[in-house]
Amino acid sequence: MALVETAEGGLQPDVLAGTVSRKRRRARRWTFLGVLPFFAFITLFLLIPTGKIVLDTFETATGGFTLSNVDAIFHAPYPSAFEFSIELSALSALWGGILGFLVANAVLHHGIPRWVRPAYLSFSGMAANFAGVPLAFAFTATLGSLGVVTVLLKHLGINIYPTFSLQGLLGASLVYLFFQFPLMILLMVPVIEGLRKEWREAASNLGAGSFGFWRHIGLPVITPSLLGLMVLLFGNAFSAYATAYALGISNLPTIQIGQFVNGNNGYDPQDAYALAFGMIVVIVITIIIYSLLQRRTSRWLK
Amino acid sequence: MSTVELRGLRRTFGSVVALDRLDLDVHSGEFVSLLGPSGCGKTTALRIIAGFDWPDSGEVVVDGHDVLGLPANKRNMGMVFQAYSLFPNMTAQQNVEFGLRIRKQNHEARARRARELLDLVGLASAMSRYPRQMSGGQQQRVALARSLAIEPKVLLLDEPLSALDAKVRVQLREEVRRIQLELGITTLYVTHDQEEALSISDRVAVMSAGRLEQLGTPAQIYNGPRTSFVANFVGTMNKLEGVVISSEDRVVRCGPLTVTVPDPSFRHSVGETVELYVRPEDVRLELLSNGASPRAGSFEGRVTSLTFLGPVTRVGLQTDLGPLLSDVSSAVALNLAADTPVSVGLETDALRSLVSSTTTPDSSSSDSSPTALLS
Amino acid sequence: MAQVSTASAAPASHRLRRARSRVPLWHVLWLVLAAIFFLLPIYSVVRFSLEGILPGQGIFHWYQTVFDDPNFRSSFWLSVQISLETVAVSLVLMVPTVFWIHLRLPRLRPVMDLITILPFVVPPIVLIVGLAPYIEKFSWLAVRPEVLAFIYVVFALPFLYRALDGGLRAIDLKTLVEAAESLGSSIPGTLFRVILPNLRAAIIGGSLLTVAICMGEYTVASLLGFFTFPNYTYEIGTSTAYEGVALTFISFILVWAMMLALYLLGRGGRAAAGVAIRE
Repeated sequence: MALVETAEGGLQPDVLAGTVSRKRRRARRWTFLGVLPFFAFITLFLLIPTGKIVLDTFETATGGFTLSNVDAIFHAPYPSAFEFSIELSALSALWGGILGFLVANAVLHHGIPRWVRPAYLSFSGMAANFAGVPLAFAFTATLGSLGVVTVLLKHLGINIYPTFSLQGLLGASLVYLFFQFPLMILLMVPVIEGLRKEWREAASNLGAGSFGFWRHIGLPVITPSLLGLMVLLFGNAFSAYATAYALGISNLPTIQIGQFVNGNNGYDPQDAYALAFGMIVVIVITIIIYSLLQRRTSRWLK
Repeated sequence: MSTVELRGLRRTFGSVVALDRLDLDVHSGEFVSLLGPSGCGKTTALRIIAGFDWPDSGEVVVDGHDVLGLPANKRNMGMVFQAYSLFPNMTAQQNVEFGLRIRKQNHEARARRARELLDLVGLASAMSRYPRQMSGGQQQRVALARSLAIEPKVLLLDEPLSALDAKVRVQLREEVRRIQLELGITTLYVTHDQEEALSISDRVAVMSAGRLEQLGTPAQIYNGPRTSFVANFVGTMNKLEGVVISSEDRVVRCGPLTVTVPDPSFRHSVGETVELYVRPEDVRLELLSNGASPRAGSFEGRVTSLTFLGPVTRVGLQTDLGPLLSDVSSAVALNLAADTPVSVGLETDALRSLVSSTTTPDSSSSDSSPTALLS
Repeated sequence: MAQVSTASAAPASHRLRRARSRVPLWHVLWLVLAAIFFLLPIYSVVRFSLEGILPGQGIFHWYQTVFDDPNFRSSFWLSVQISLETVAVSLVLMVPTVFWIHLRLPRLRPVMDLITILPFVVPPIVLIVGLAPYIEKFSWLAVRPEVLAFIYVVFALPFLYRALDGGLRAIDLKTLVEAAESLGSSIPGTLFRVILPNLRAAIIGGSLLTVAICMGEYTVASLLGFFTFPNYTYEIGTSTAYEGVALTFISFILVWAMMLALYLLGRGGRAAAGVAIRE
């Protein structure tokens, strides 16, 4: 009886070796079965609908191939809607990102009182989830034409209306900021915590102040993460529907799609697919950029 | 080079006392190890010196100036951390140059100095490597080079070798000492490894529970431990119980043995129970042929265990004085087995009487270490 | 040997202690600004909800009106129902899957990371467009709220996955399972008896996030014609003034309570980072 090396590096009689490796191969095939339900679910409820949109975009109402649907989104009123949505998303992502980073950094400082961190983090969790209909109403109560802040500013002699509007870029950005900003705080906390204490102390020991640390070590290390999260924020804002709807904004791709599903006529129903496709394209680009940035992040923060 | 004085350092974390009025003087160019178990306060003390923590009270004086008012980045001390302290986004060279960059040195001067230091630690070939491309030992060498680049007055090392393999540890500690001697830089070295501390320090400060138990040269610490903590932490000690027979002559009876305690400061009244200590290497064994009695001054014992330690074998014994450990050369130990009867003798010059800690007032000892315990 | 001087008394130690916990003004500034930004809308809502009261009515009149509204109760209850169904389906689907991947298929982890990002960025509205034809085809099925639950499972995916993944990473899964196996336990048995108890925090945390999502989801619910709580909030908010803000504040309290529970559960670190949603 000869001894044969197993895959793990041990020895076993060759008679058994054959059966064991066959069993292992069979076991490997069966293990995939364990995750089958999940992938089936995802396929059914996520991949197929998304795939259908991509395909149907290139289909006419009767079933032939066409590019006219895609072409339609380059005509009014869609481009301006895309433009507005991208601007809005970018603005809220940028400011949400920067502010989120600054506040996360502040919350994690070693000297702050112990209650600050739980208070801000749990509130951030709340605010990040508060998006949607109630948020729109809350901001209407704050900055609407009869809003508390509006009235306050009027008393101080500043009239923000009619130039300001909650449906305009600035107004909507502020509303979006309410959930983007805390989202960034929550996402940023683990990233900043990933900056080892030893790096800061070593930097300080070598003569660098706080600014020096961030300039040479902190920011270079977390910038990929920071950017990646901002991109995520962008995607989040770009997909927003309920908040915009409740604010009464109409020139967003999401809202426009919604109008089709609602059965509003006046738009070509095939446009819905094209619009959805357009959104998917933007989102895919977002995801790709995010993945690339994530890969850079893991290099430093291992 | 600089002197460092710690005066009355006290630091509490809530109800835990990390440092309890620590006093320490480090002379210029000296290599002092802070040795003790986890939680004894050695790292806390080091961090306070470096500026990453502040004491509740006390002073840290460097070259006659109190540095506690200075932030960490203005104290001009070099620090080597236990691990992970190299900046991940910079090469070895850039890491070493960092301190110089902050001090606005120009490009060539920085590069020159970086090369010089990496040469010193033997890593000139790794200049363009990133931390993740280096082994633990290499990283710590770069960390050392980096801390020395700024020509600090004081070098602080916080268990720099703990995270490394045993063989690398021995190699690197020799190198650290060699470099320290070459540069003559005042150094404070924190470790829990007594072998490490004894082998490379000028003086060792043994700490326990926030207090300084004993400060002395490695030989003083090992041969003349002043408290039972030091005796047990540094090396191994056998404990013997005895009764004082003569106070003036310092005679104690331990079981069948009558000994004279060598320490002239041993003052106990007749009839008092005392504890005496002796190291395993000072316990001598002789084979007893059947029926023979041990000679005068020795007593009988039986072998209970044999632990092979390489050059030496630790023999566990059961005797009338209780269980004892004896270190004998492994060649001799070949003649021993469980239950072998032996004749046990003690090097009475090596007997010590110790107090349990520095809380109880201690009479001054006979060895001549100038910087003694707290009074 | 220097004697310990008693000159280092109270004044010096005060200075030292302050040095230790000095917080840069910069940080304080941003914390304060953030606080103002967050609290203003809340304050405005509360302010409004306590106004417009006629003499004879209690100060919480509008809140009372809302609570008395039968639509409030029915829509709230519907949302709760759907939330629970969503949690149930999600857990049954996700827990074994994530467990299995961690144990036997670690190479699938990057795939999972990517897949679970998808629902986060695919707009629900786009999903609806894709699902619309199927919904028409199965219209007899489509009126059952369970459909909504299944869709919500997809939305909750990223958060539940992150929570479970985090929870599994924190325990040494392989060792535990091998130990259990050596003691005679089967794999499913191990999952139930050993792993699940250790994942309790992650499961509850993930479930809370799921509930938060379901209770707040407007888009799909309204477009599919279900009268859920957010829908009710929208109707009330656009048709009335005061009841609307009162309801907004109620929503706020609701979400805040859930997030607080989530936070207390995870003590801040991991659970809170399991984080938020789209609206």
